[in-house]
Amino acid sequence: MRYNIAIAGNPNCGKTTIFNALTGARQHVGNWPGVTVERKSGKYTQAEHKFDVIDLPGTYSLAAFSAEETIARQYLINDKPDVVVNIVDASNLERNLFLTTQLIELGRPMVIVLNMMDMATEKGLEIDADTLATLLGAPVIPVVGRSGAGIDLLKEKILRVARELSLKSRPIDITYPRDIEAELEQVSALLTASGDENRLVRWTSVKLLESDKQTRDEVRALKGGEAILEQTARSIEHIERLFKDVGRAVISHARYGFIQGALRECVVETLPDAVDYSRRVDRLLTNRWLGLPIFALFMWLMFKVTFDLGSIPMGWIDSGVVFLMNVISAALPQSMFASLLVDGAIGGVGAIAVFLPNIFMLFFIIAILEDTGYMARVAFIMDRIMHNIGLHGKAFIPMIMGFGCNVPAIMGTRILESRRDRILTVLINPFMSCSARLPVYVLVAGAFFPENAATVIFSMYILGIVAAIGSGKLFSKTILKGMSKPFVLELPPYQRPTLRSLVLHTWERGFLFIQKMGTVILVGSVLIWALGYFPTQVDLERDYSAERAQVNQVYDQDLSDLTAKFKSSVQASKSVYHSEMVEYKASSGYQELNDQYQTLRTSLSEAHTNQLYSLRQQEVGDITEQKWIGRIGKVFEPIVAPLGFSWRESVALITGFVAKEIVVSTFGVLFGVGANVDEGNLGVISGLRSSGMTPLAALSFLVFTLLYTPCLATVAAIKRETGTWSYTLFSIGYSLGLAYLLAFGVQYFGGIFNWLS
Amino acid sequence: MFNFNKPRHQLSNDYSDGLRLNDLKPGEIGRVLEIGGSEQFRLRLIEMGLTKDTEVCVDKFAPLRDPMELIVRGYHLSIRGQDAQKIAVERIN
Ligand SMILES: Nc1nc2c(ncn2[C@@H]2O[C@H](COP(=O)(O)OP(=O)(O)OP(=O)(O)O)[C@@H](O)[C@H]2O)c(=O)[nH]1
Repeated sequence: MRYNIAIAGNPNCGKTTIFNALTGARQHVGNWPGVTVERKSGKYTQAEHKFDVIDLPGTYSLAAFSAEETIARQYLINDKPDVVVNIVDASNLERNLFLTTQLIELGRPMVIVLNMMDMATEKGLEIDADTLATLLGAPVIPVVGRSGAGIDLLKEKILRVARELSLKSRPIDITYPRDIEAELEQVSALLTASGDENRLVRWTSVKLLESDKQTRDEVRALKGGEAILEQTARSIEHIERLFKDVGRAVISHARYGFIQGALRECVVETLPDAVDYSRRVDRLLTNRWLGLPIFALFMWLMFKVTFDLGSIPMGWIDSGVVFLMNVISAALPQSMFASLLVDGAIGGVGAIAVFLPNIFMLFFIIAILEDTGYMARVAFIMDRIMHNIGLHGKAFIPMIMGFGCNVPAIMGTRILESRRDRILTVLINPFMSCSARLPVYVLVAGAFFPENAATVIFSMYILGIVAAIGSGKLFSKTILKGMSKPFVLELPPYQRPTLRSLVLHTWERGFLFIQKMGTVILVGSVLIWALGYFPTQVDLERDYSAERAQVNQVYDQDLSDLTAKFKSSVQASKSVYHSEMVEYKASSGYQELNDQYQTLRTSLSEAHTNQLYSLRQQEVGDITEQKWIGRIGKVFEPIVAPLGFSWRESVALITGFVAKEIVVSTFGVLFGVGANVDEGNLGVISGLRSSGMTPLAALSFLVFTLLYTPCLATVAAIKRETGTWSYTLFSIGYSLGLAYLLAFGVQYFGGIFNWLS
Repeated sequence: MFNFNKPRHQLSNDYSDGLRLNDLKPGEIGRVLEIGGSEQFRLRLIEMGLTKDTEVCVDKFAPLRDPMELIVRGYHLSIRGQDAQKIAVERIN
């Protein structure tokens, strides 16, 4: 037999941990149709029965206010899973059982899992699982998800409950105060009379009294629906008169009453004054005076570790890519295909693969912050500031992640509850300077501001933050007016993270980046390669081979002149003192002449190499100008001229639209040193300096790079998360506009006030 | 036609000028008398266990004074001062 089981529970109760313990590695992460809520599914086999497991989104209730709640509810009602596995946090039973009271009313066969038993024991809670099972009408299994204790028993229980499906074990009803029960009865009677066989009468009546809009719409369509709704209205009015509050509040209150009654019978607190270590730690970490400095320190450490430790494997990947490129170009004959493979695909993707260690490192640290419970404190500490831009404290988390990579950061906006908050955070996220922009800063700042490179780069990060805050304020006052969701945030106890969960989280997010490399960046690199490769025939005004021959000829001439001069001086000085050549060569006079000669010879040859090199650079520049990429750059040249850019910078910026890192390799191609350059490359630096770019233009180039759309993958993520092209196009247009405006500002005011000259 | 949606809930006159949750100092415990504000806010709080008659301990305030941290039904919950102002309480210690 094949059974469907659904895992339901509050956020943070350990659903994912149990899901992993049940299904092992066989799982699939996708999206629920139409919404950007993660959908995790997996399978396992138990005693020759197959189980398909679905991990429902974590919710506190089934009220259908948020996308998560609607999804969980629809799935439970429409897909009718054979078993609902309700995970509850045993150390926080009262609140966790609130969802359970609603699940019970859905009437699916249930298994209740008391997770985090270790924490409950630590707190001194003794829970009588058997009594609780009787009270809730479903088996209750204590487990420790983290260590896997109790999972086997849980699997067995799930199987038993699934197989007893035919026995129609009827679960208990949550009982409400008598006046409410009377009203429920009236509504139920009408519902039963309407003759809809499949309807869950109890659930529907309760939801009707709770003024649940979705249920009301469904009932309206029934036979006699209007009459049922009229009765509902009368009942609600009656309840409101009696209890002086809306039906929903009264019913929720009654649910908590039921829970409290149940817990009185089966929970004993044995350690009334157990030390709450988590609270002690929190006293320090969210301390009035130390909270913010400690947070700043953590952020600083996060960057330090990401970039310092991450740079070690970066070198390995870089050498690996170069090695691969050399091997392949040696193995393949010179052809278009070889160039496509080596310069286009491997070179392009390789230039970005070097950032993998940085990105994985960052995600690992973010996983630590999340798994320890510190992320919730970040929201707590930062809410005051984020509230200023009209956002929830939690929105700070995707903002920090943006420093690593905007793609997962934009995906991370899913942690926010309201659509408005999500869109606002998505729109300002690209201004957070992602790690891909760093190589561009290092290259350009290194070339033009070698003394102050660090300061210049740091100011880019700050400018990005300022742009994000400013835009956030602007948007929340204009296009995204309206209230953000009320801030109601649970602060879970601090936990020691497990390596397994850290690795899993890191991998899940890091994999998105690898996917990006394999798709968007690969296609983009090949496209840019093609734009730089075609047309293959170009007509150059200057005859470079003739010029080269000329340079070589002059060099040969100079060299032979020098040698002749040396020889004659040797002859002259020898004849004065010495008769024998051997004797003469040992003398200091000869030594001096020879040294002089060698020095001149070396400098002549150096000058020659430089001449050839700069000729080559000019040639590559001229050729590129004729290729498609150069022609496109030329088209945009008049537009970017006010920013101080030439066609080269415009080409670099266009290619940077695919991915910012590509800006560096584009400069490499433009200055004839090849695509695989690192930031310290002297050829590119000297090329940039001699291309006529001023330091002021370099600064406005950096500003532009910071602010315009980060990359195609980000665009794809924005489209995915906002769900509409209009916000996506708006984001592209806005960031281009802001980039242009500020870069122009730098160029214009810099010119007036004579900065950097 | 009966209106099923109650957009805002005004605190009743008995409490409209009394003590509010954000008036409590860290360490003080209050009992919830009534919750005002938008329907969505009220229900969210009620779902989180902050129902009428619940005892709430104010644990602390964030470094920038806002939001505040509460202990409700044995767990820690954080809400903003402006929202806590909509919760009428009586001090019980
Ligand atoms: N001490 C203890 N910690 C646990 C146990 N089970 C899970 N955890 C920890 O609880 C935290 C939350 O677990 P998750 O599995 O991510 O919880 P979740 O319900 O999927 O959370 P969301 O994905 O946020 O809805 C993690 O840090 C786990 O390591 C347990 O039995 N004991």
